[in-house]
Amino acid sequence: MIDIKKTYKNYVDGKYVRSESGKTYTKELKNEFYELPLTSRKDIRDTVTSSKSGFIKWNGLTPYTRMQILYRLSEMIEGNKESYIELLVSHGTSKQKANKDIVLAIENIIWFAGLADKWEQLAGNLNPVSEEYFNISHQNPIGVVFSLSNSTVSLNNLLLSLLPPLTIGCSVISYSEESSVLALKFAEDINNSDFPSGSLNILTGKFENILDDVSKHVEINLVSLHKEIENEGLKRIQENASSSVKRVVSLPSISGLSSILPYLETKTVWHPKGT
Amino acid sequence: MVDWQYSESIESSNIVSIKKKYSNYIGGKFVEPKSKKYINTISPSTEELLSKVPLSNEQDINSAVKSAKEGLEVWTKLTPNQRSRYLFKIARLIQERSREFAVLESLDGGKPIKESRDFDLPQVAANFFYFAGWADKLDLSWATKSLKPYGVVGQIIPWNFPLLMLAWKIAPALATGNTVVLKPAETTPLTALLFAEICEQAGLPSGVVNIVTGDGSTGSLIVNHKDINKIAFTGSTQVGKLIQKSLAGRDVGLTLELGGKAANIVYEDAAIDQAVEGVVNGIFFNQGHVCCAGSRLLLQESIHDQFVKKLEKRMQSLRVGNPLDKNTDIGAINSKEQLDKITSLVNEGVDDGGELFQTECELPGNGFWFRPTLFTNVQPSYSIAREEIFGPVLTTLTFRTPEEAVEIANNTEYGLSAGVWTEKGSKILWTADRLDAGVVWANTFNKFDPSSPFGGYKESGFGREGGRHGLLSYLKASS
Repeated sequence: MIDIKKTYKNYVDGKYVRSESGKTYTKELKNEFYELPLTSRKDIRDTVTSSKSGFIKWNGLTPYTRMQILYRLSEMIEGNKESYIELLVSHGTSKQKANKDIVLAIENIIWFAGLADKWEQLAGNLNPVSEEYFNISHQNPIGVVFSLSNSTVSLNNLLLSLLPPLTIGCSVISYSEESSVLALKFAEDINNSDFPSGSLNILTGKFENILDDVSKHVEINLVSLHKEIENEGLKRIQENASSSVKRVVSLPSISGLSSILPYLETKTVWHPKGT
Repeated sequence: MVDWQYSESIESSNIVSIKKKYSNYIGGKFVEPKSKKYINTISPSTEELLSKVPLSNEQDINSAVKSAKEGLEVWTKLTPNQRSRYLFKIARLIQERSREFAVLESLDGGKPIKESRDFDLPQVAANFFYFAGWADKLDLSWATKSLKPYGVVGQIIPWNFPLLMLAWKIAPALATGNTVVLKPAETTPLTALLFAEICEQAGLPSGVVNIVTGDGSTGSLIVNHKDINKIAFTGSTQVGKLIQKSLAGRDVGLTLELGGKAANIVYEDAAIDQAVEGVVNGIFFNQGHVCCAGSRLLLQESIHDQFVKKLEKRMQSLRVGNPLDKNTDIGAINSKEQLDKITSLVNEGVDDGGELFQTECELPGNGFWFRPTLFTNVQPSYSIAREEIFGPVLTTLTFRTPEEAVEIANNTEYGLSAGVWTEKGSKILWTADRLDAGVVWANTFNKFDPSSPFGGYKESGFGREGGRHGLLSYLKASS
């Protein structure tokens, strides 16, 4: 008889939900078995609905509030550090590496938390137009971002796949294959923090199953791939995306200002000056 | 009452000499097409044949791309200061020959001389001047690591602002250290070919700028060429999607500046006369052949009747006719094909139940013309309220609250531009924040500047042209 340690659920709209398909897949870690949801097309649709309203809620907060919520997340991970290390070790990571991974993850959340109320000053500016106009370029977050996480099981990598869009006000659907257990454990910390429902949804499964549904969904504004996809798959994603001019980024930068640039829309506003 | 007689004032076309036949500009030389095929380019205001330009085939594109690759070797070895000086030089030469360019632009494209002379050409020169100054300051432009040029850039531009779109494409591409293969639109190739002379005059190293003419098939050859590192396209959303699709699975950069259906929102507390002027400029500038044209007029219900009355009166004063007449407000429609498209959409609008107003004016016998047109009593579901008409046709919708205005404005797959008219500052900022549009003009419309980024949200494309943000369209972060 198989020893089932824990059945995880997807984290959607602030709730833990089973895949509507009822399907799961099993992951074995150190002789223990985890049952994980195999996300279906219907799950993707439901998640996008949640992410759309999550975007309005999350982006509607002030940058100051978003900064504090992100900082709070770093505190929660700090508090649960040991359990993360234990989970990484059960994936075969050495204790030393696992410790370093969590330390880095916390550093990065703090870096992005502090960026939440500064990125507009770094990415926008007044434009010196040669007539009597006030002209400013500033940014809006692009909207709903689907992010496929990296294949390495690492909390730091997982976070770097979702923090850049999340920090600037996008809602994120984070999708994990290899890091599924870690991602759903992380969902518990998200649930216990102050993120508005739908701002960050966490799903697991086989990406191949939902590749078309994600890349064809017109209400997902950007698909961000943090793991190498074989060329046929990437081609299919980009072909599907072209039907709605959807943005697709493959292995985007995860550090510095360039990490947030793909998720921004630049808006330029003109107004005459006069008496 | 004084009977004012109209006296025309025709700009002389003697300043420009149009050749009977043109060649491609490849590797710093004018070369006849290997295809040995040519297409006609006509004046849309008279339907007279102006010249013949190459219909370039695969061999022509191969040699243009090869030349751009060779040009890249030279161009990247120059110092940033040298690249900057070439661009300054080009800007200066354009200023010197601007009247020649303006006349040619109006002849080949049909736009009024007062626009080509006072808008297009000054903007063209300004774009080269602006990006000239960036060429040696790229390290200061963005606080990001190691931005590098793409290499060989394929650029495909539309017929509405032929030379200005060339400037929007070539100036930033060269400033960032790329070389280009540019294809002007099928119906307006002449100013791009004249620009090739400027490149020669400036002594630009051969292969840095290559200009090839042709039709959609030529554009497709550029997009699908294996040695192209990036494509920059301005044109319809339909073609933009095809380009995005054909680049799928290839490591080729892409920026798209596509269609629009901009909302021009007029609140009841707007300065009405000023707004009427802005709305007229918003839709009738360049015959409405403008991707960011304010083609959906959103009027607050309380001012609808008063506004429409004033607008119709103002529209009636628009002078339609010879593009070379300095008094002309509205020139010729760019092509027969475009005229047919506008006509068919307007007919559809009438069939749907829209109320049509067209100005009374005499139209010339030859050429392609369309009267300034206003639709009222329109439902948001009508195709005239949804589809990009790309002509002098304005569609009116109404709203009651600011929330409703924003909802209607954003209820489109496009997101290129929008306008807001109100005397209340807080309402401008509130509205601008909520509009999904890359450019928002408040109490103004259709203003452009090389320092001001331009580009769309949603299906209006991605990437920006102009300003510091425009540099990112031609630089990639190297890992």
